[in-house]
Amino acid sequence: MIQHFPVLAVMLLFLGAFCVEIFGSKNEGIRNTITMLAATIALVLIYALIKPVMIDGEIISYWMGNWAPVSGYAIGIGYEIDALSLFFALLVVTTFWLSGVYSLSYMANDHHLGHYYTLYLMLSGSVLGLVMTGDVFNMFVMVEIMTFASVALTAFRNENEGTLEAGFKYLVIGSMGSSFTLTGIALIYGQCHTLNMAQISAQLSCGGLTPTTVMALALIVAGFGVKSYIVPFHTPAADAYMVAPTSISMIFSGMVNKAGVYGMIRVLYIIFRVMDQSNVQMLIVLFGAVTMFIGVTMALTQHEFKRLLAFHSISQIGYVITAIGLGSALGLTSGLFHAMNHTLFKGLLFLTAGAVLYATGTTNLDKLGGLSKRMPKTTICFLIGAFSISGLPPFNGFVSKWLVYQATYTKAVESGNFVYAIVTVVALVVSVMTLASFIKVTQAVFFGQLPAELKKTKEVPAAMLVPMYIMSALCVLCGIFYPIVNKYLLYPATNAALNVTNYIDKMMGDGYAAGLGVSNIEVAPAAFSFWNPIVWLILFVVIFIAAFIVITGSKSSRGQLLQPGVKYDPKYATFFSGEEELFSQVGGSDLFWGFKTDWKGYYRVLEGLHSGIVTDYAVFTVIATAIITLCMFIFMR
Amino acid sequence: MFNKLINDSASKSPWLYHINSGSCNGCDIELVAVLTPRYDAERFGFKLAGTPRHADIVVVSGPVTSQSRERLIRTLAQVPEPKCVVSLGSCPKSGNVFKGSYSVEAPLDNFVHVDVSVAGCTPKPEAIMEGLYKAALILKEKREAMHK
Amino acid sequence: MLILKSLFYILIFPGALFTSCFGLFLAGVDRKVVARMQHRIGPPLRQPMYDFFKLLGKETIIPHAANKLAFLAAPVIGFVSLALIMLFIPVGGFTAFSGNADMIVILYLITIPGVALIVGGSSSGSPYAGIGISREMVTMMAYELPFVLVLLAVARKAGGSELAFSMEKVAMWQAENGNMLFQWSMIPAAIAMLLVVPAEVGTQPFDVAEAETEICEGPLIEYSGGALGMFKLNTAMKMFVMSGLFVSLFLGGIRTGSVLCDIIIFIVLCVVVTIICMSTTHAVTARLKIEHLFKFYWTFVAGMALCSLILVWCGL
Repeated sequence: MIQHFPVLAVMLLFLGAFCVEIFGSKNEGIRNTITMLAATIALVLIYALIKPVMIDGEIISYWMGNWAPVSGYAIGIGYEIDALSLFFALLVVTTFWLSGVYSLSYMANDHHLGHYYTLYLMLSGSVLGLVMTGDVFNMFVMVEIMTFASVALTAFRNENEGTLEAGFKYLVIGSMGSSFTLTGIALIYGQCHTLNMAQISAQLSCGGLTPTTVMALALIVAGFGVKSYIVPFHTPAADAYMVAPTSISMIFSGMVNKAGVYGMIRVLYIIFRVMDQSNVQMLIVLFGAVTMFIGVTMALTQHEFKRLLAFHSISQIGYVITAIGLGSALGLTSGLFHAMNHTLFKGLLFLTAGAVLYATGTTNLDKLGGLSKRMPKTTICFLIGAFSISGLPPFNGFVSKWLVYQATYTKAVESGNFVYAIVTVVALVVSVMTLASFIKVTQAVFFGQLPAELKKTKEVPAAMLVPMYIMSALCVLCGIFYPIVNKYLLYPATNAALNVTNYIDKMMGDGYAAGLGVSNIEVAPAAFSFWNPIVWLILFVVIFIAAFIVITGSKSSRGQLLQPGVKYDPKYATFFSGEEELFSQVGGSDLFWGFKTDWKGYYRVLEGLHSGIVTDYAVFTVIATAIITLCMFIFMR
Repeated sequence: MFNKLINDSASKSPWLYHINSGSCNGCDIELVAVLTPRYDAERFGFKLAGTPRHADIVVVSGPVTSQSRERLIRTLAQVPEPKCVVSLGSCPKSGNVFKGSYSVEAPLDNFVHVDVSVAGCTPKPEAIMEGLYKAALILKEKREAMHK
Repeated sequence: MLILKSLFYILIFPGALFTSCFGLFLAGVDRKVVARMQHRIGPPLRQPMYDFFKLLGKETIIPHAANKLAFLAAPVIGFVSLALIMLFIPVGGFTAFSGNADMIVILYLITIPGVALIVGGSSSGSPYAGIGISREMVTMMAYELPFVLVLLAVARKAGGSELAFSMEKVAMWQAENGNMLFQWSMIPAAIAMLLVVPAEVGTQPFDVAEAETEICEGPLIEYSGGALGMFKLNTAMKMFVMSGLFVSLFLGGIRTGSVLCDIIIFIVLCVVVTIICMSTTHAVTARLKIEHLFKFYWTFVAGMALCSLILVWCGL
């Protein structure tokens, strides 16, 4: 029974997509019912797999149409769900379910919602299929569906400026990525005569890598690099995240680029198993480090809330790629944990950005300000998200970033390689810059002065707040109860990624891997011993309450809210050197000019490179792919 | 005991905020002289604050020109209780040589309760010191009156 | 029992009470020394204490443009995190909590008071505070790079071939091999750290964020009464925490055998560090511009720290 769940979940989503288009294009009720029904059942089906896969350590396999392997050759399409797949599948279902709930009220004022929900369900289904499939060609098909659904959704609000441009960029770069993947898969098929991941893995690990497979490896890595938007493949991401409806931006950062990360892990750790080579590790880590640095420095200069978040997505994926590039169990654990946390806090931040857009009609940082008085609930959610992504204790980002530093520095000490120490420093500095750019958003959107035209802003409806609350709660809980997360999610997933034998055996029959000489590695769960957060949290709360009483107990007084046209007590006005209160908000672009002056040269180069011309971006993609290919050939001589 | 500690401290760390309401700068220079090493008002805890929200003693110099009146009143309102207003020099006290001018609205008492007046054109630093010290003692009284 | 013990650690020693008392004491020493350097008599040593209690007795005005919760909670969050940092720093060989990577915990906890200042200032709704928080944030980015490099250098030196992000290991290493400061390869790192300390605390010449003469105390502009008192207390505590961090990183090798003596030596060393890196620079320099500050930290100070890190990495 349980082995049918994964494929049912994927099929339901695709079926839902068709049904929405056929039955729901006119009637809102039917449309929403079908969408939420499909999404909810998929969610339940995937959550039901936690017990067997994560806790009992089973691997679920499913052959489509019962085409089981014949004499050691896989001929059918197989689904195989190990802990790694399920880990990402959980992220995917959580993200799209919350996004669906949010869409119900967020998108309510748009037209052609039938198309929207069709594409939304296609996108969800394809990513879910991608992370659970055991067949490389099926993976490519899912990548294609994902790319085209994403392109269409990016350009969904095509009456707005820039949407078609963003869609076009996404289309060009995304298709290049897909083509790389397809070429790589074709090469692999030519070499191994099979498309089943388990079998390819088994064959490659006993036969060794040939020039053909090295080429395939390089192309597939580049292909998934495009999907996970590592620098220099990141170029379409910023535009796409900015102009897409926010519920879709959340899906992009929460699951679409996680699909790329998943692909990287699957390819590097399981299919090709090249992560024990120090050169490959170095290559991936350098890509990750460059990604996180360029992402965050670009984010610091943005004036647009969602664009800023998009660059942060790139930067945080840099952390994940760095961590998984280390090739150690600790690195993989930290990378997975950060991927998960990124889904949570970046989803939350996109939702708050969407709430701001919904309530005010703009996300331009220079036009907003002082919203904390009008949207207090959104503000609190935003602050939780901002502190999580900046890695302040006790939120989840702190724990995973801490693990990333620990992993990189351990690597530096163990290998004696100074580059990894520099990567640690970069990671730490990027974290501070992340904080800086969220301070900018906090000041420019939620605090500071309220512009006159935003005086009538109202808090968003409850259907939009609930997903934000869920995400915020998850951010806090994952930070506090990380031992549980580690035990039930991260450790099984890490173990699955590093131990291929079970994966191969489950698919191809017992003893298949051993017959080809593939062996297991023992993985110890990552040790967390730096603090006991539960005791700490109690103490935090105790002191907080005590000190709060001291402050509120001291004589404090507060003025009434300023109503237009009403005289107010100057005592409670902000101090303007004696002048009457004026509107002079320090907006997003004015902040950090001291920093920008010192980095003039750097920004000139970087902004020149982000020219917005698709041909340039395509050239970057090709060059980077060439570099990856060249490096792989040099490393695997 | 806690309250007594606060009451005792009230007179021992008076922070100044200086408002120039059209002064000729003579008094302002003398006020700064009070804080220099020669007179060193920091002995008594006097310190210049950058904003009225931090101030205990507001020192007003100048004859309260009509341009500065509104701003003066607004700034004085922003000082948290307990506070003390010190008028520095003869101008805020009487208008001095500017008395009768169409643009001068001295004395300062018309707009706000002045606790200590230091007269002179300009007052000597020693006199300013004494005035400020008296203001600090008044601060303590006000604090005690607030929390008996 | 664990909770009671932790409560004692957090509330009394070496947490809130101890840190705030000695923080205020250090702030007093700083003011006195600066005054003496300028040939003044200066305020009594208890002056910061008077300031604090006076502010507690004053009215706390919350401007109508401010967000009340963030405005009042910010100083308290800063206070709590400062009290927590002290638990990780060995006070003369005594550490309340130790873990295998408390250095990173310290690194993060130390940013929280700054963040609290920024959030508080930002929530007050004043444009002066807007400028102030931008400067505070740039200052934070500026000193964070050299700070990270110094911590990595010390960790590498103390750990040798294994990972040691732990203050306890640094203390143990120093107890065996003598003070970190007297290793010649660590001298650039120590100088860098001496320059990081005043920027973190925000004393002149690095008080660009709170420049009272140009931007009316920056983030603190709208604060009054108890909340302002908490912020002043936070600054004083930062002095103690940062000088304490310097002492335990570079001068932690002095052991007399008795815990009390060690603690007294620790405090004396903290006073010395405060006088060297905060009072002296305060008395002899004028305030920097923000872009100069950033450049100074990312070139000179970070260069010194990097130099140390490379030397240590080469096994010197």
